[in-house]
Amino acid sequence: MEATLAMPVNAPQRADQRAGKYLTFQLGNEEFAIQVLRVREIMGVQEITAVPQTPGYVKGVINLRGKVIPVVDLRLKFGLAEMEYTQRTCIIVVQIQGEADKLLIGVIVDAVSEVLTLQASEIEDTPDFGSGVATPYLLGMAKIKGKVKILLDIDKVLSSQDVSGLGF
Amino acid sequence: MDSEQKASTVGTLNSPNSLASDPELLNDFIVEAREHLTNIELQLLTLDQDPANAEAIHAVFRGFHTIKGMAGFLDLNAIRDVSHEVETILDLARNGQLAINSDVIDAILASKDYLSRALSELDAMLQSGRSPKTESNQALIEIIRGVATGGHEESCEEARPGMPQQESSAVRQEMTGSSAIPEGTTGLAELARGVEAKPGKAVESSKNIDVICSTEAVEASKPADAPAGVARSIKVDTAKLDYLVDMVGEMVIAQSMVRHDPDLATGLRPRLARNLSQLARITDEVQRTAMSMRMIPIGQLFQKTARLVRDLSRKAGKQVDLELSGEETELDRNIVEELADPLMHMVRNAVDHGIETSEERVRAGKPAAAKVALKAAHQAGHILIQITDDGRGLDCEKILRKARDKGLVDADVTLSEQEIFALIFQPGFSTAEKITDVSGRGVGMDVVRKHVQKLRGRIEVHSSIGHGTTFLIKLPLTLAIIDGLVVAVGNQRYIVPIFAVREMLKPSQDAISTIRGREEMALVRGALLPLLRLHRRFGVEPKFSNPWDSLLIVSESNGKQFCLMVDELIGKQEVVIKSLGEAMRNIPGVAGGAILGDGRVGLILDLEGLFGARMQTAASGAQDHA
Repeated sequence: MEATLAMPVNAPQRADQRAGKYLTFQLGNEEFAIQVLRVREIMGVQEITAVPQTPGYVKGVINLRGKVIPVVDLRLKFGLAEMEYTQRTCIIVVQIQGEADKLLIGVIVDAVSEVLTLQASEIEDTPDFGSGVATPYLLGMAKIKGKVKILLDIDKVLSSQDVSGLGF
Repeated sequence: MDSEQKASTVGTLNSPNSLASDPELLNDFIVEAREHLTNIELQLLTLDQDPANAEAIHAVFRGFHTIKGMAGFLDLNAIRDVSHEVETILDLARNGQLAINSDVIDAILASKDYLSRALSELDAMLQSGRSPKTESNQALIEIIRGVATGGHEESCEEARPGMPQQESSAVRQEMTGSSAIPEGTTGLAELARGVEAKPGKAVESSKNIDVICSTEAVEASKPADAPAGVARSIKVDTAKLDYLVDMVGEMVIAQSMVRHDPDLATGLRPRLARNLSQLARITDEVQRTAMSMRMIPIGQLFQKTARLVRDLSRKAGKQVDLELSGEETELDRNIVEELADPLMHMVRNAVDHGIETSEERVRAGKPAAAKVALKAAHQAGHILIQITDDGRGLDCEKILRKARDKGLVDADVTLSEQEIFALIFQPGFSTAEKITDVSGRGVGMDVVRKHVQKLRGRIEVHSSIGHGTTFLIKLPLTLAIIDGLVVAVGNQRYIVPIFAVREMLKPSQDAISTIRGREEMALVRGALLPLLRLHRRFGVEPKFSNPWDSLLIVSESNGKQFCLMVDELIGKQEVVIKSLGEAMRNIPGVAGGAILGDGRVGLILDLEGLFGARMQTAASGAQDHA
């Protein structure tokens, strides 16, 4: 009994770990997905307080029910063109592993789509884009109804080193 | 017997005993033993002043006795054996067979330190799981025995029983029989072992255990110096308390948001108004209570310095009287913790460097015994801590000369006395040995100031040569909330901590001048102060671009005043300080964030950081030109 319970967690294949529920969202023309377990809440864009001397993709901080959390624009982080925020623009609050503690970070995306359950068989490894293209923050790809969803490793996307700003 | 005893005294901390390996029990023991040790130190310092104080002797005895009992139970032989030896001398002292002198107190203090270290080691073992290093206690035990025999040879022999392992059953019988006298030589563990070893005597012995258990329980649960009516209290995780205070702060802000809601402001009926003000009163009360829960008296901290002064003055051969006042002044626990290091440092400086030797003092016509005074008091929503010595004082000329040698001050600049004193807080200045020898102070004063600033406090020096030095530390009552001025730059709101603000003004056009085409200066009360435009620093579009339309905030950094230019003042607000999280911890000029009245986040400015960073960029810019 114990052994069967422990199996999925300790299984060596990466594909098995990647299976599960994902929240998908849009960014430009692409669909991305992050593990639902990492998502704390989704909210509309609210007033963001700019923080000086942080990289451009760090939009600032917001008030999450009395907690101050940083917000990152994923478009800018991925080098896409900046867009006006619309009614559909959302902040996804995710929990990531920081240096010391778990921390909450808001991620701005174009629009949130749906929650999907992905089987291990539906997930493929990230294709090799050739040398020079680093893909450390991709978990893999999933093809659902002919459309490709890019699975993100949100910890790596928002590694605190990246968020902490440049220049000092 | 002697060699056997030796073997048993070098105890080990890890043993196969099942109780000893229970981390929870060990943890409880560490916590409790530390409390006892703190109390023991306090009582010892009392004894140092008044060696005949029987109550203090009893209190110290009870502390060691309880520790010994618990340590024996947990097979912590090293701790048990040291406590045991101390207990022996204390017992002699109690019976009037040994006079308490400073040698005895030194030995007991040394034992207390040994036990503290052993507890820390044990704690580290619990945290990391590694096996502990056991410091040898042999030398210490020899010292203690030396003190005991020095006092009274024969009685010492009597009073020192053999170690439990080798004890004959006859001795045990005698001792268990006499356990009603709290001789302190029969620990719980020893008795327990006796029960195991001799089943035949189990009934008889277990009665005795009951007796001892109950007296020990009473002793353990009652701090030795507390009167009969002990304050009832519970222990709460400080993280929970911090969270409570944080949330109460938010509640206060939310409450004020409701109260000032524009929808409510129009057509407020009397009943609603009454209920709202009732709510305001209650939230105020809740906030005050929550804050008071984190407050502890500063006395504990002062007590630590008492020990330090005693040790240092004995080592340096100086006579120093420490005067404490205002020990009952309460302040935030977090501040007390942060204050410990700087306070120790300053007291050490005062005794080491500030105070002359007795001969020098007599030659200068001062009393041979120097005075160091620690005072704490509330003053207008702040805590004032004063450290005064009547030593040689700071020598302005020497400080200035040294600063010029080090290139900290240009040769042609004249400085006021306060500006010269401020130099001792310069990093790097401290290492100047000559200064520390000649004029006192200097060792790590920059660290002291950094600590105080971190606590959002200020430090001032007053000194007159030959008469002594006074350090004044002004601290906020709590770290959780600050009084802030909400200012606007463009559409951004920033909070300027009020403690950092000297004054605010709207300058006239001719008060602003530009030096070398880039550095702007403002003439304020006859002094030219550098002008720092916040909007340029933070890259924000301002409402006004001319300083004479804007508001200037005069502040001070490293003893130098400067002006910060913002658009306008919005108002004054108490805010709860929030960290921006580990990702944005180290942004120069930003101390944190706070939720403003409208629910938005405002950044709290760190004026020192802003100005400091400006100096750095100016310096690097100058290098670029060169």
